[in-house]
Amino acid sequence: MNMDNKVLACVDRSPWADHVADYAAWAAQRLDAPLEFLHVIDRHPERSSGQDHSGSIGVGAQEALLTELSEQDAAFARAAREQGRVFLNRLRERAAAAGAGCIDTRQRYGELEETLAGQQQDVRLLVIGRRGESAAATQRDLGRNVERVVRALSRPILTVTDAFRPPRKVLVAYDGGGVTRRGIDMLAGSPLFRGLEVHVLMAGPARQSAPKDIAQACAMLVAGGLEASSHIVPGDPEKVIAQYAASEGMDLLVMGAWSHSPLRGLLLGSKTSDLLRSARLPVLLLR
Amino acid sequence: MSLKTLRQDWLSNVRNDVLAGLVVALALIPEAIAFSIIAGVDPKVGLYASFSMAVVIAFAGGRPGMISAATGAMALVMVTLVKDHGLQYLLAATLLTGVLQIVAGVFRLGALMRFVSRSVITGFVNALAILIFMAQLPELTGVGWQVYAMTAAGLAIIYLFPYITKAVPSPLVTIVVLTAVAIALDLDIRTVGDMGALPDSLPVFLLPEVPLDFETLRIIFPYSLTLAVVGLLESMMTASIVDDLTDTNSDKNRECVGQGVANIATGFIGGMAGCAMIGQSVINVKSGGRGRLSTLVAGAVLLVLVVFAGDWVARIPMAALVAVMIMVSIGTFNWTSIRNLREHPASSSVVMLATTVVTVFTHDLAQGVLVGVLLSGFFFAHKVGRILHVTSRSEDEGRERTYRVSGQVFFASADRFVGAFDYREVIDRVRIDVSRAHFWDITAISALDKAVIKFRREGTEVEVMGLNEASATLVDRFAVHDKDDADMLLGGH
Repeated sequence: MNMDNKVLACVDRSPWADHVADYAAWAAQRLDAPLEFLHVIDRHPERSSGQDHSGSIGVGAQEALLTELSEQDAAFARAAREQGRVFLNRLRERAAAAGAGCIDTRQRYGELEETLAGQQQDVRLLVIGRRGESAAATQRDLGRNVERVVRALSRPILTVTDAFRPPRKVLVAYDGGGVTRRGIDMLAGSPLFRGLEVHVLMAGPARQSAPKDIAQACAMLVAGGLEASSHIVPGDPEKVIAQYAASEGMDLLVMGAWSHSPLRGLLLGSKTSDLLRSARLPVLLLR
Repeated sequence: MSLKTLRQDWLSNVRNDVLAGLVVALALIPEAIAFSIIAGVDPKVGLYASFSMAVVIAFAGGRPGMISAATGAMALVMVTLVKDHGLQYLLAATLLTGVLQIVAGVFRLGALMRFVSRSVITGFVNALAILIFMAQLPELTGVGWQVYAMTAAGLAIIYLFPYITKAVPSPLVTIVVLTAVAIALDLDIRTVGDMGALPDSLPVFLLPEVPLDFETLRIIFPYSLTLAVVGLLESMMTASIVDDLTDTNSDKNRECVGQGVANIATGFIGGMAGCAMIGQSVINVKSGGRGRLSTLVAGAVLLVLVVFAGDWVARIPMAALVAVMIMVSIGTFNWTSIRNLREHPASSSVVMLATTVVTVFTHDLAQGVLVGVLLSGFFFAHKVGRILHVTSRSEDEGRERTYRVSGQVFFASADRFVGAFDYREVIDRVRIDVSRAHFWDITAISALDKAVIKFRREGTEVEVMGLNEASATLVDRFAVHDKDDADMLLGGH
């Protein structure tokens, strides 16, 4: 077991955390990697709860204020820590029951993306829910953290939405671009999908070089021990991929993610975001 | 600077920032007026300065939630400049101060703050509090009993009113009540209006009317340098206080540049140089201010209040201001430091006291800090110099001796190093094992030279072993004992 390359499951106290735990346990088992549950406790030091507008400062004002503010923070931190520990332990047991080997849990204060960016060097695969704790309150269908996290990291990220279904059929969205080509390399070398049925799908406007490209990719996957087959379907990629996944009963989608700038995404819309919204199956994003 | 940071700095705490900003604005007015009076300029100079410092720092500063305005520390520095050369030179000095601070920020001199020890900071803060208090004494000497009564009543309101409600700033209540009493009883006491002109309009851009020549520079440069140093010192100190209070980080170099930009802007609208304020920043955080918005609101509201209520501001009795400033001075003073005098190591206490005493007597915070920093460096060198141990063991039936040196060898411990060897011992060979020692400077190297050559003079063979890499580099470059002509030194000159 390679201790340097863990599967990091990023969880919060939402119902989706269970699905994340299940998929993470599955991935850790396949990769023979240690699994770590990370719960990031958001603190908001930039917000305050000041009630004292007296404007007067007395003897030892600074020390008194420091004590008061630290006590507030400490009380909050203790409560959050205890709650976090309880649900992390529940997830740990769940993952252990699912058969994951070496499981660790960790709670950190801070911001999700900063924490992950700081932790990513020994992470092999990150698993997160596509929606989180605040999703119940808001109507967003893609968690507000997901795109930021994915953009901040350079590791493969498995995003999950629904209850766990052991993946058997994997759909790889292939556009012949650099990101996905490197992704094919990675998949071929990884035990994650070894022995699974992999469909390499090329969607979008037909290009001349497409059949050659896709055949090459398939050959590479086959050489890596995967059962790959190639498919070319013309049409709007988003629709084609979603339809294909539904009609063929695919269990997992692999694609390159957000290769363009956020600005372009804002103006033109982003293929990745659209797919993450419309597809109900877990998506492995390659950076 | 991403959109997210911008949003976080400005909009994450809107309600509390606005409220805290209002509280701070109200507390800033008496201070700005009082500090103008300390500096010997019209109240409007300090009020304009507080407005522009706060507003510019809100955007340019590196520490969200910190309040900058016209301050006592800066006012104290500029007293003689105003007295000898007038307001226009002060404005020119303010501009130059800003330039120097920007330079400091660009060259990342904020990092130099780490040489200012906690004791020096405590001494600085205490001296500042004492000086602010002393600056109030002229208002309290040779005046009628009414002034004392008013001041005492003011202090009582400031400290007791928060027990009734904390929703309204008690310094403001003091000012309103005392002003009302003074008007109602028609007391013949000094008011703010007697101290000079108040702002009657929004500030306008103006250039200081000074000759642009070398003579001007000669006059203002020493003041600007001191102002820049004192301003950055107090700002960095306040920034780390706010860092501690809010458990967040600040960008110190950005704050240096921000202070510079704010001072330049202030100089161009006829304000005196300013910096961050410890007391006001504590008030801001206490009232719930965390973001840049609080600073902006403080500055903007201050100006609006002063410009549109100028007639009323002029009628505030000085006694009310004195009460507010006594509160500021009491709140600024680090009272625990007195209790700690006995508990802390003597050297720390000496550094703290020296900083305070020198500052109070010279009225120059920069000099006090310089003395404090030098003293703490001196004490540190002395302490580290004592970490040097030399042990020895004879070997080979008394024909050889091995000295084991451990610790730091540098200018403060070089003499002890040389004195640790027995040169008169009759022996064939000496080994000096320095694998657990570090040679820091050329004084240390020449001490090593001296020891080696003294042994050789007695006909003893010397071997120096176990030099670590850094020490070996120094020895290679500067030592003589390992060079061919080392024997020449034996005979002297």
